[in-house]
Amino acid sequence: MDTKIKNHLSQCRQKLENGQLQAVDLDQLEALLTTSNHRRNQTIMYLYSKSTNMRSPLSGWSIYDPYRDDEPELPSQHPPYRSVLDAVGDGWRILQFPRPENFPFSDIDNNYLAFEFILEKFT
Amino acid sequence: MLDIQPTLNDKQVFDFIHNGYIILESVVAEDFNAECLILPPGHLTDFIQSKPFRQNVLLHPEVSGVARSLLGADFTVPTSAHNHLFEHPHRGQTLHSDGLSELGYGITHLQCYYYPQAVEIEDGATMIVPGSHQRLVDREAIAHYGNISGQISITVPAGTVAMTHYGIWHKAGPKINHTRRSMIKFSFFRTQPPKRDWVRESDEPPTYQHSGRHHYVTEVESYRDRRRGEHTWNWLCGLTEYQEEYHPARMFMSGIPLSQIQL
Repeated sequence: MDTKIKNHLSQCRQKLENGQLQAVDLDQLEALLTTSNHRRNQTIMYLYSKSTNMRSPLSGWSIYDPYRDDEPELPSQHPPYRSVLDAVGDGWRILQFPRPENFPFSDIDNNYLAFEFILEKFT
Repeated sequence: MLDIQPTLNDKQVFDFIHNGYIILESVVAEDFNAECLILPPGHLTDFIQSKPFRQNVLLHPEVSGVARSLLGADFTVPTSAHNHLFEHPHRGQTLHSDGLSELGYGITHLQCYYYPQAVEIEDGATMIVPGSHQRLVDREAIAHYGNISGQISITVPAGTVAMTHYGIWHKAGPKINHTRRSMIKFSFFRTQPPKRDWVRESDEPPTYQHSGRHHYVTEVESYRDRRRGEHTWNWLCGLTEYQEEYHPARMFMSGIPLSQIQL
């Protein structure tokens, strides 16, 4: 938890015990929680691993960051990480693992990119 | 009927089956490219059916030679096209295949991109994913894909025509400048059963040669690509049963058989 919010909550608890807690204290807490300096921004990353093993090399990737400028970016041939595990080591949390039953086995027809990991990071 | 000669040999047909595209650089004459630069965006019909467009682009020996090689004699010649014109920066389209996917293993439809000006990557070059034409997908369900290893940005000189398998995944790439970038898209269709009547070094069809693995493809997917490629090769050589089907993409694009064209 953010240090400023933690300190403010501690002060509020003391005021509550002493019967001094007022609406303005809660207003201050709300302001701390909603100011941009304290908001935690979620970024989503899709990584396509060449197997269900998190150490496998990547075949595709895309990053969705709602807080970055909407400027066009030129395409890249270089994945941001060597593997899913490499991304986890950099602080990304896995939201969704690829489940083998979602990739029906066929002897001849390929379809969507396998294997899709979805990750998130808060900044 | 106009005498259109095939230009591809067995090896080049193998490559098309594997990659799903062929790029003919600088085949259209400079002065005709200049005429096309002033075309409006959107649907085009009269200009596409004009004698100059047919002579310089649609029935250019190299362009029609590929169509003749992959679609057989009396393929349809487009009577309409679409000018994809971009003049301002944008994030690019999402990756997609056009219209409805093709089922089956045959090659019945070539979708072509003609660039009347040179295209650099900053101009919003068309991007394609080699080999993706062998994947049947819902186009809206791949819209979240970003970069894919081995993707290609079609950065080419003026007068280039890229000829693709209809199902190939593609998009207008991100554009970061204000340079006018036009791409005129049109399609050729097959009208006759397939047979091995492209450029041949021997009468006996060689065994299909798989060209290896695309960068993004997993090991088992590569095995499937190879097997699918063999099916396509046998189909093109007329070694498997042929059933004439109405191609769903004809809902959107028109053409008339080569035998009805007079220049």
